[in-house]
Amino acid sequence: MCSKSKLFSIFAVMFLTAGLLLVAGAAADAAVVKIGFLGPITGSDAAEGAAARNAFSLAINEANKSGEFKYKIEVIEVDDQSTENVAVAGAQEIVSDSAVVAASGFWNSGPAAASIPVFKESEIPLLIWGAIRETLTNKDNVPYITRSAPTDKQENIPLAAKVLDEFGYKDWFIVSDIGSYGDGNFNAFKAELASRKIAPLGEEQVPEDTTDLNAVAQKIKASGAKAVYCGSTVSIGSQLKRQLSDAGVKDILFCGISGMKTEDFLKIGVDAAEGALVVSPGIILEDSAKGRDFIKLYNAQGFSEPIGAYTPYAYEAALILVNALRDCGETPTAKAMTEAIPKSKTTGIMGTTTFNEIGQTENVAAYLNVVQDGVWVPLEKSEYQSGKRSFGGK
Amino acid sequence: MDMFWGLLMSAILLGCTYTLVAVGFSLFFGVMDVVVFCCGDIAIFGSFAIMGAYVAMKSAGLFDSLPFVVCVALLLVIGAVFCAALGLVTYRFSIKPFQNSSELMPLLSTIAMGTIIKEILGLLFKPAVNTVSTALGGESALSVVSGRNPQGFPALLMPNGTVTERNITIIVITILILALLFLFLNRTKMGLSMQAISQNKELSLMTGINVSRIIIITFLIGGIMLAISGFLLGSYQKLMSFDDGAMYGAKGFSAAVVGGLRNTWGAVAGGMLLAFVEVFVSGYIPRGTSYASIVAFVVVVIFIVFKPEGIIGEKTAEKV
Repeated sequence: MCSKSKLFSIFAVMFLTAGLLLVAGAAADAAVVKIGFLGPITGSDAAEGAAARNAFSLAINEANKSGEFKYKIEVIEVDDQSTENVAVAGAQEIVSDSAVVAASGFWNSGPAAASIPVFKESEIPLLIWGAIRETLTNKDNVPYITRSAPTDKQENIPLAAKVLDEFGYKDWFIVSDIGSYGDGNFNAFKAELASRKIAPLGEEQVPEDTTDLNAVAQKIKASGAKAVYCGSTVSIGSQLKRQLSDAGVKDILFCGISGMKTEDFLKIGVDAAEGALVVSPGIILEDSAKGRDFIKLYNAQGFSEPIGAYTPYAYEAALILVNALRDCGETPTAKAMTEAIPKSKTTGIMGTTTFNEIGQTENVAAYLNVVQDGVWVPLEKSEYQSGKRSFGGK
Repeated sequence: MDMFWGLLMSAILLGCTYTLVAVGFSLFFGVMDVVVFCCGDIAIFGSFAIMGAYVAMKSAGLFDSLPFVVCVALLLVIGAVFCAALGLVTYRFSIKPFQNSSELMPLLSTIAMGTIIKEILGLLFKPAVNTVSTALGGESALSVVSGRNPQGFPALLMPNGTVTERNITIIVITILILALLFLFLNRTKMGLSMQAISQNKELSLMTGINVSRIIIITFLIGGIMLAISGFLLGSYQKLMSFDDGAMYGAKGFSAAVVGGLRNTWGAVAGGMLLAFVEVFVSGYIPRGTSYASIVAFVVVVIFIVFKPEGIIGEKTAEKV
């Protein structure tokens, strides 16, 4: 049988140990600030999402390595699988962690729209790095929701200027998916046509999981359109381009939106992909010193996913959040970050990002790419620009 | 008129893809009285097996040393072996344990099996193929970039021919498979045994037919057929996604129900009907592609309500 003093000693040691563990845990918590990242890391849009995740983590790792912060910045990665309900569950996971001070997310507008209420209710700021539906940023969502990527309207403007004003195409068939991303682009490009008093010869919106677009290709063929606009992601865009080619519709301009500018688009084959013209947000990375540095840094990590159209945006989103953290002192909170992000001024790869009154970036950059011999080439460096090759439908 | 012929060709091609999956449903249902809901996933597994084998064979340099036709035949054999094995695994773990349970149990377990197949493809295709191709090809090995992204199916069918030639080849192969299946079912002892089991399992047992053996052979044949479906799907669609199986499964099952679930020719009729409805609604109704699947499934519901035995299926009276 133990004596009273022995029992007391045992309890004392136990309490002391528990106390030390609690203190150590609290110290560890204080030394960590968490940021959420959401994107389609798997699924049909994984090429963009996984590369964005890589770039985002890369920027955060660089910030941690710099020794500038007295705490460690940790990223909570959530794979939204381009799906609304998965995205909402992921958003819940992020906001339920008390160490989270901000999040950055979304390549797809649907999951972004579905998750925004979760962030607003929890008062955790969300910086959108890739979803482009115009209405995601608005006066009701500011200051919680900001976006460093251009909107669908902002992306469609330079494309429309090129194909409508400069190339002069007038006979259009417009296609998109019926999802949030597709619908936003469909309406944005239709508005560009309407502003120039052009009525499309035909239009079609297809379910997002459509793989057989042969009937649409036949419709386009029968319409006599000289140009096709596809406001959709790579899964629809690549199939439409291929099936148009299969249907013998080759003398036609095929253009579209940044969602198609991935390596997956090229899998349809060199001949089928040739001549696809796609607007891309941002700048031609190879043409600027900062862009080249980014390419070098990204490629040095050995990621299996190549840089996609939105990879620099995810990297810049992380830079913006890191910059906002700087403004929040040694113990950043979600409240302080909510105030700091819309006011931030961050110079990154694509220039200096500031936000307007609805939390939308004022730094809008876009350029055009074309598929030439099975690879994406900036239009201005392509044989289409030099006149050696020509787009169809002229 | 050009549009009509274009749509007709598209409908026939789409019908071929639905038909081959639907025939798988009919075969399994005929012999087992069970809806094997993962038929679409097995077909997609077949096309991924062929794509993976292609990467491995190309890395090993076989496409340079062997005639192209031999390589394609080898790929088909590999796809068939994988799908036949998967068919047997499906039977052993998803159907056999529930033989004496409610009809719902194998239905649910084959849906679950479909999810397992899909996720295995999504998660393991890339590492598995890259490991094998690196082992075979060393530094010059081809590799799969991302397993959950759409994969480009290699040009194995009429690689130097026109699109029309490729399309006609797909139709001819489908007809050939159906003809072979017809001959097998009607002219061989094994096929007749399958039909006997389909019509009356108890009587078949009493006449000495080895029902267990026939069931296993049915799954082997069904698996091989679904592998060929996967090959044709890949050749037609060009880009394959690991999660395409659910859609083809739903369409194949609907086609089999519309045609008559026990009848192989019913599966053909159902597959073609669904494809024609989808393609012509898409083609002739403004913005019809959005509604094509709705209309197709309305057709399915109409058949279930007014002609539950299907287009070719026979009415059966149930004694109560």
